Amino acid sequence: MGRPAVSVVPGDLSVTVAGEAVTLIPERAIYWPRVQALIVADLHWGKAATFRAAGVALPPGTTTDDLARLSGALRRTGARQLILLGDLFHARPGREADHTLGAIAAWHARHPALDILLVRGNHDRRAGDPPAELGIEVVDAPHRSGPFVLRHEPAEDPEAYALAGHLHPACIVTGAGRQHARLPCFLLGLRGAVLPAFGSFTGTSVVEPRATDRVFVVAGNAVIAVPA
Amino acid sequence: MTDRRPPARPGYSLGRPVVPGTPFVDPEPPREAGEPPTGRSSLPAELRRARTRRRAEPSHEPAAPPARSTATAPLARDTAQRRAARRRALADPDGAVRAWFADHGWSPFGFQEEVWESYLAGESGLIHAATGTGKTYAAWMGPLIEWLRAAAPAVRTVARLAAPPLRILWVTPLRALAADTEAALAAPVRDLGLPWTVETRTGDTPAGVRSRQRSLLPTALITTPESLSLLLTRDTAAALFAQLECVVVDEWHELMASKRGVQTELALARLRHFRPALRTWGLSATLGNLDAARDTLLGVDPDGAPRPGQLVRGLVPKVIDVDSLVPPTIERFPWSGQIGLALLDQVVAAVDEGGTTLVFTNTRATAELWFQALRRSGAAWADRIGLHHGSIARADRDSVEAGLRGGTLRCVVCTSSLDLGVDFTPVDRVLQIGSPKAVGRLVQRAGRSGHRPGAVSRVTCVPASALELVDIAAARAALEAGAIEARPPVERPLDLLAQHTVSVALGGGFTSDELYHEVRTTHAYRDLPPDEWAWILDFVTRGGQALRAYPDYARVTEIDGVYRVTDSRIALRHRLSIGTIVSESSLTVRYVSGRTLGTIEEGFIARLRPGDRFVFGGRPLEFVRVRDMTAWVRRARGPANAVPRWSGARLTLSPELARAVRDKLDEARRGIYDAPEMREVRPVLELQAAWSRLPATDELLVERTRSRDGHHLFFYPVEGRLVHEGLAALFAYRIAQLAPISFSLAANDYGFELLSPDPAPIEAALEGGLLSADYLFNDIPASLNAAEMARRQFREVARVAGLLFQGYPGSGRSAKQLQASSGLIYDVFARYDPDNLLLRQAEREVLERQLERSRLGRTLVRLSAGRVTLVDVERPTPLAFALIVDRAREQVSSEKLADRVRRMVAPLERAAGPAVPRIATLRSAGWDGPR
Repeated sequence: MGRPAVSVVPGDLSVTVAGEAVTLIPERAIYWPRVQALIVADLHWGKAATFRAAGVALPPGTTTDDLARLSGALRRTGARQLILLGDLFHARPGREADHTLGAIAAWHARHPALDILLVRGNHDRRAGDPPAELGIEVVDAPHRSGPFVLRHEPAEDPEAYALAGHLHPACIVTGAGRQHARLPCFLLGLRGAVLPAFGSFTGTSVVEPRATDRVFVVAGNAVIAVPA
Repeated sequence: MTDRRPPARPGYSLGRPVVPGTPFVDPEPPREAGEPPTGRSSLPAELRRARTRRRAEPSHEPAAPPARSTATAPLARDTAQRRAARRRALADPDGAVRAWFADHGWSPFGFQEEVWESYLAGESGLIHAATGTGKTYAAWMGPLIEWLRAAAPAVRTVARLAAPPLRILWVTPLRALAADTEAALAAPVRDLGLPWTVETRTGDTPAGVRSRQRSLLPTALITTPESLSLLLTRDTAAALFAQLECVVVDEWHELMASKRGVQTELALARLRHFRPALRTWGLSATLGNLDAARDTLLGVDPDGAPRPGQLVRGLVPKVIDVDSLVPPTIERFPWSGQIGLALLDQVVAAVDEGGTTLVFTNTRATAELWFQALRRSGAAWADRIGLHHGSIARADRDSVEAGLRGGTLRCVVCTSSLDLGVDFTPVDRVLQIGSPKAVGRLVQRAGRSGHRPGAVSRVTCVPASALELVDIAAARAALEAGAIEARPPVERPLDLLAQHTVSVALGGGFTSDELYHEVRTTHAYRDLPPDEWAWILDFVTRGGQALRAYPDYARVTEIDGVYRVTDSRIALRHRLSIGTIVSESSLTVRYVSGRTLGTIEEGFIARLRPGDRFVFGGRPLEFVRVRDMTAWVRRARGPANAVPRWSGARLTLSPELARAVRDKLDEARRGIYDAPEMREVRPVLELQAAWSRLPATDELLVERTRSRDGHHLFFYPVEGRLVHEGLAALFAYRIAQLAPISFSLAANDYGFELLSPDPAPIEAALEGGLLSADYLFNDIPASLNAAEMARRQFREVARVAGLLFQGYPGSGRSAKQLQASSGLIYDVFARYDPDNLLLRQAEREVLERQLERSRLGRTLVRLSAGRVTLVDVERPTPLAFALIVDRAREQVSSEKLADRVRRMVAPLERAAGPAVPRIATLRSAGWDGPR
């Protein structure tokens, strides 16, 4: 088990994985201080736009707000590097929508010096790589980075501790008075970790943690450890 | 009449039997004095006949053989026998119809002739009568006589007559009824030698027939509201219905209180747009609001006045006997909770007594359980029983129905799937497992028995818990008092209007003014304000309102004032999404060897592992695997241990029955136990009185107790579960305004529970106006949001309005990129377009339909006018017990989410021991987004 470290701000939660100190933040991301990297998974940019293109009336705003939340997390952690663990764009129609591209370009202009790495996920393979002008480095999984191996779909790796997304994990926490809440969560296992989905217009899937997993739920503006 | 073959004698009645002792009252005169004037029924007969002539002339063009005889649908083999029959029928239409009845051993009932007469006079109306008493032929013979009368002068030769194009639409709520209806309608057509074609078109219709129907519809088409809406999306819709004379809506009482009813209303408005003189006839069971049923069906004229129409009363059962089975000894009787199968022996004995027996249950899972139990009961007829419910494959249901008709089955366990039906053989005995929950349902089910001359309709109730004995006694009292429930029609659902608007845009297009005025002729949208109509147009063309149009969105396109759908993929998805029925995501159940058994909900299958055994359709099955949206199974070797659950709507106590239950409880409080069921349940009620109290009719009983689970408050308004869900959310919300607290809520037909980890300030809340009917306008929406009820109701709204796409039928094409849960979509709207009218509609639906707002308001007025008694009890009372074990719960909290979760987790951090696992796990259930 990782030793608790000092929180960056109330609501953040610092843990050690693979010998590396990282911070789980309630924006649904991991901050890796040693290399000043923010790690997120499953952004699904342009998902609502994909629906609109198919004649499903959904209001605009989800991708723009997700971008603002991403900017906020980058700013307050001071990250210089952004690591995307797959499923950046939801689908091709949404990726090509002018509205989505405009919002992304505006966001990118706010972070001109940011290094961005995308590890392709299943959606990226169909939606296509991000536009070249965003300057995103795109690689296939697995991608080695320090003590970690970066992936989209979780799998054990013989070489290193895996960081992945794809599952959109959530768990149901129960308490006295038959209270219960379904919350997105981080799953930290012995050989790998799964991040919650970053995109707000994405679903969650209830997962069954292994006995050796550490589970941290995102409840509003706080990351909270759930004892097994 | 020499070569006519002996007529088949159907098991149901066509008309009045020519034998004495019919069990039905044939009202003479058929119209009751107490029935409201329609403005027409009281006209002297002379005048009516004169109007008949006047109306008949301009509106009924002679249906002479059309020139396009080569393009007509295939005509049934035209034999010499048919031609002879046709010659006779054309010579004397009325006489031929009468002769046809006589050939079957019947003569027309007065009400049937009255309907024919009204129909021939160009009138519309509603017929109400018990099931299987000749409603079908009351509505059917008018159109036949009319065609015969009109055709006679034009027919030069009776040979080679072509089938006329579509004249009659017969709308039925259940696909399952279509085949029976087709047979019933085809019989006189065949016997009278009419050149008509009678066909069915539903979701079950084979592709070959559908494609033939693409070019030409039959003379009479039997269809469902959904298939009718689909016909309206064809760009040739106006031509298809150009000769339509009449629409008959069967089982209108089943449709009218649902969005499917509104869907029918909109389709009727469209058809009347094509055919202004169209006549509409509804067939209905007896309801508490028959006038409203008729007015909803007929709609309003352009000035907003209800269209005139007849209300014709058919046959109603004379006597209904309600009795019940009770356990032989009270000691074997659990004082509360489920009785389960404890009454199996008595049920077996009851089936032994009678001939064929129907065992009605309220849920499919209960039907499966009882079928298993009866099959293993060792009764002599145990191998001659059948199971019938809506999830069982059509072929299996057909064979059960045939077995019942043919007398090979002695007993059938069924759900409401056998509540309806034209061709339904009367049985000797009817059992009802569990509380009937409504008086009308009891009447309808009882009506399945006692059709034999001289017999009474009888239903035997089998309580599923001790307290249901009170329901049964109350139902009998309400029945004797003549309290039959009303079914309120649905008002102005905008999701359905959006769907209909896209359908009409597909079916030839529309202009705004024209369609606006057309939909305002329906009862549901008679008051549709112009701004809501403008919103609908914006929604289907631009997404949001003019200034906030959604980018990259288009569904309907406006060109020169005409609205159309131009994108073929959008057209396809719309056609696949028509309808209002929201089903749980379900899988087909199939043997690995290939045979299909029915459908089952994904949520149940998700909990199974390969090798698990469960019961389905009365068979023990072993789960093999899920692939291609199919649950593959094989016959299980050992006994099964699980019964699937279907999350169909839980029945709730009707207002009429709830009042009768309150009266029965009050009688018990005063020591009056007159009904046999009340005498049986007396020990339980006396225990309740000893530990707490029995509520008086002007008293709200509140019980407070503490358990390992937390602090419980129980309230007993006895108003039915739906009202209680609303009250629970409202009370939880109001109490939570006093201090940060979290509640979980449970509700049943007798009361509701608020459970909290800490004591709730109930005394302060009661003093502060907990029961007040003031501020409801604010408090109710706030409490709905707190309990996320509107968010859940949004699922149906989103589905109907085309925001949720349920996928392409069959495999191959995936719509994965368009999958999102309605909860997510609700959140997106709530955040980015909070004024969206669909959100308001979801709220309104929870209020009006789910919580029955007017009933909620009336209940609060009743409660606040009475007194409140707060009793501290040591342990749960008999009334509390059923609530305490209910796991299906809502939550209301005024704590911050992070604080609430920290408190939930905190006790575990303190106790290091192996406590109850705090992370509930559920493999692969609840996935609501793409990976």
